[in-house]
Amino acid sequence: MTKPVLGTLRRTALGLLCGVAISLAPTATAWAQSDDLIVAVSTFSEETMTPWGGSGQRKTYLDVVYEYLTYVEPGTLKTVPGLAESWEVSEDGQRWTFNLRKGVQFSGGYGELTSADVAYSIERLIRDDSRAGPASPMRRLIGSVETPDDYTVVVNLNFPDFELAQGYFGATQQLGIVSKKHFDTLGEAEAEATPIGTGAYELASITPGSEIVMKLRDDVENHWRVTPDFQNIVFKVVPEESTRVAMLRTGEADIAPIGFDSIPTVRDAGLSIVSAEATWSPVVRFGGLIETSDNRYNPDAPWAIKEVRQALNYAVDKQTIIDELFQGEGTVASSDTPVPAWSTVEPYPYDPDRARELLAEAGFENGFDITIRTFTTAPGAELPLMAEAVALYWQDIGVNASIEPVDWPSLRSEWTEGRANNYVWTHRGFPFASAANGMEAGYLAASVFASFSTAELEAMIQDFSTEVDPASREAKFTEIGQYLRDEAAAVFIALANEPYGISDKVGEWKITTAYVWNFDQVTRAE
Amino acid sequence: MLKIIVTRVGEALVALLLMSLVIFLLSRLTGDPVALLLGDGATEADKAKLTQDLGLDQPLPIQYLTFLGDALTGDFGTSVTAGSQPALQLVLARLPASLSLAAVALVFTVTIGILFGVLAAIRRNSAVDIAARLIALVGQSVPSFWLGIVLMYIFAVQLGWLPTSGYGQWQHYVLPAATLGLFTLAAITRLVRSSMLEALGSEYIKLARIKGLSEAVVIWKHALANSLIPVITFMGTFFAVMITGAVIVETVFSWPGIGRLAYESILSRDFPVVQTVVLVITSLFILANLAVDLLYVLVDPRMRSRG
Repeated sequence: MTKPVLGTLRRTALGLLCGVAISLAPTATAWAQSDDLIVAVSTFSEETMTPWGGSGQRKTYLDVVYEYLTYVEPGTLKTVPGLAESWEVSEDGQRWTFNLRKGVQFSGGYGELTSADVAYSIERLIRDDSRAGPASPMRRLIGSVETPDDYTVVVNLNFPDFELAQGYFGATQQLGIVSKKHFDTLGEAEAEATPIGTGAYELASITPGSEIVMKLRDDVENHWRVTPDFQNIVFKVVPEESTRVAMLRTGEADIAPIGFDSIPTVRDAGLSIVSAEATWSPVVRFGGLIETSDNRYNPDAPWAIKEVRQALNYAVDKQTIIDELFQGEGTVASSDTPVPAWSTVEPYPYDPDRARELLAEAGFENGFDITIRTFTTAPGAELPLMAEAVALYWQDIGVNASIEPVDWPSLRSEWTEGRANNYVWTHRGFPFASAANGMEAGYLAASVFASFSTAELEAMIQDFSTEVDPASREAKFTEIGQYLRDEAAAVFIALANEPYGISDKVGEWKITTAYVWNFDQVTRAE
Repeated sequence: MLKIIVTRVGEALVALLLMSLVIFLLSRLTGDPVALLLGDGATEADKAKLTQDLGLDQPLPIQYLTFLGDALTGDFGTSVTAGSQPALQLVLARLPASLSLAAVALVFTVTIGILFGVLAAIRRNSAVDIAARLIALVGQSVPSFWLGIVLMYIFAVQLGWLPTSGYGQWQHYVLPAATLGLFTLAAITRLVRSSMLEALGSEYIKLARIKGLSEAVVIWKHALANSLIPVITFMGTFFAVMITGAVIVETVFSWPGIGRLAYESILSRDFPVVQTVVLVITSLFILANLAVDLLYVLVDPRMRSRG
């Protein structure tokens, strides 16, 4: 190549580079500093638009459209009226009557909320093809639904449930109320693509796998529950946590869940942290402890002996794990469900000497081998690190733990198929608002997700579920909590928080509890 | 040309059929989707019912024949997780994002790779050559996950020149395309460099110089044209790999492509979507190779007579 040609090439390349640099220079960029509220979440899960179309993880975007019969008050966690102004339960706990709020309008011109809509929503949520998490237990629970008038819904249960209002029918679960007229008019296939609810927002657009935009309804000034500050809420799916942190720093996101070790980075960038308190409970579950089930009980496992399980609890310094792995965002747990009735149950203290004594009592003075399976979930990215920490503590008392990283779907399959009998695994707990529901999921043999059950425990739960006196119920529930602790049903590590990074566009945001994000109540900073 | 097309189409159909069987069997080896769909309070009865509803209680041959029969009519089943959404619809909704990203990345890598390769060849052992080979080494060594995050932090967080992630505007393409394309850029640079060195040492190039042709014509018209054949060979493969192997880039940059869809579907044991993604990708590979074969014929006149 001749020198003039090379020279031309160099000048051209330089010119191109300058042009690119100028064109890319920061200007008022369209992707940041938008006037909308931008929420970056790790997943849209199934990315469907109906309450029954998938898991509760979709409530991040669905809950600005659909509303619930009751809500949970931030701070106090008390159950407060929602679409139901009031409710009552029969003495035997099997007949609930909900009195609906009058004048609540669906979006899209689908008229006023009536009992027919509630009945349809219930029926649809418990139908056989429902993919909602609570569909199965609700299907067993609900006998029939009556609508004596436009504003009264009567639910007859097959067995007592004294917590239906704050449990399955509350905002922490998936009974978002839909418009029956919407489905009757469009047919199921078309109606399922467009969410119509009584919430302040309605669907503006979807980019599959990328973002869902919700816009304020035109009639929102008179909305009965909220007065939103943002015209649009843009939900973006951002699976990678470091990307979410980067988005917070550039202003491309206003609210995003972050890892615990990103808390200092986010604070150093001048941003705030809001923690959803006690929304998950990192725990180590034991396999093969369903005593009343032939294929899910492994009497040969060392941890089948209560003293061994207790030793494994005493051996772990849970507060240090909270301080180091969760940046102090949590409290030491005596259970895997944040229940007020269990707040008096004392967790196991850190006492490795006591742990060694118990192992010796149980005949394992030389220790034993154990496998810990671990994986990441959301929340739960720290579970593998927690497994390593637990393994080290157990090593100190002579229990040799080997860690097997797996994926959650594989382990979930083994768990529900009764094949998780020879190892222990980390888990994020059952963050049910109704503790009774959580207890049934985790400790009744009939549940495929049970990890510990005894005949005595099942009897206690049965006794509790049929108890009608509130004070006695509370006492029995506490007794169950104490039993689970004394039996060391799991290695309960913590009731952990979920930290969210917040941009300076956000004024106030009260996240209530697990699965109640209140994005429609975020205020704009002054 | 017609003979080539007919032959390739026949081979494609056989490949698709075999692939459908392979992916059908492999996806079922990953586990049972029922366990993942069950809610926290499910019982054995719920599990049995759901298994039946999804048709998973049928013998495997029946399941495969059902799938194949439906696929021939364009019905690839419905997603087991995403309600009643057709699997093909889910995949096609995400395909444009993957195709566009791969196209941009390919243009980037081919353009820059050819330029670097030519410069490295004509300025052998110079600073340009060393720089090109260094870029090639780095490009093939650096993990895309790390590279993507580093580029994001430099150009988006620190400099604010580009968005961190997302999809929709042309600026969203820059970082993911650069991350996705760097490995291929390295490969093309090395390929062009070695092909150019071989070409520049050949007799016809000497003759061209003796005839008095300008150096620019010798390099860009004669030497490069013959050096492009191996690049074209790999372009089809590179393009398909950029579509299918972009799951890490798609995750880091929140790109709504089929790589991420495939990964999420595998995790959730969504067999219909996994099968559909693989069949679509197989079809893309086949189309890409067919395009390469046709490009060969256009570029190299010798191929026209071989047919």
